[in-house]
Amino acid sequence: MKNNIRVERAIKDMTQADLAEAVSVSRQTINTIESNKYVPSTVLALKIAKVFNKPLEEIFMLEDTD
Amino acid sequence: MRLKYLFPYWCRFLGWGLVILHVPLSILGRAQGMTNIMDPQPHDQGIFGGEHLFFICTTLLMSAGLFLVAFAKEKLEDEQISHIRLDSLRWAIFINYLVLIISLIFIEDVPHMLELNLWVPLIFFIIRFRWVIWRLNQSLKREA
Repeated sequence: MKNNIRVERAIKDMTQADLAEAVSVSRQTINTIESNKYVPSTVLALKIAKVFNKPLEEIFMLEDTD
Repeated sequence: MRLKYLFPYWCRFLGWGLVILHVPLSILGRAQGMTNIMDPQPHDQGIFGGEHLFFICTTLLMSAGLFLVAFAKEKLEDEQISHIRLDSLRWAIFINYLVLIISLIFIEDVPHMLELNLWVPLIFFIIRFRWVIWRLNQSLKREA
């Protein structure tokens, strides 16, 4: 699964720490999600989408290998 | 996902304290000529006899310490930490059974095998868990 959290963060001018605080996880978690090393749970994915005020599919996309 | 049944964060320090405390107690006891009930030929003193108490002060103190360290919450307990914790537990069980099976085949010293079994899963779990978290912190530092 890919995501464009980094882009969305840049649009909203948020740091990883800001986003981490908004969804109550550690900075490490946001960092590993951004670099596609960790797939978040549905709850966390929905929380992140809510912060950016966008539907889930605009932030997280399936890859061909999924 | 929130994992229940974890000790509070400060238990980690209490756990290390117990592990460290068991070292001088062990050395002192051995110097006094005490043997552990797991040693090959214990003097039979029954439950709560000298040897049994020595066993409680050393082996059990260390296990309890390791247990507290292994199952204390992190400062910020999030879903990735839970994930790493479960993954490390899986590895610890794998390694433990590998060691157990190999020692069952090649070693006849059952009391020490039991002792080995007491440490291996917890120690391996702690090392693996802390190592993954350390690696995550390193990659965060590299990006910053």
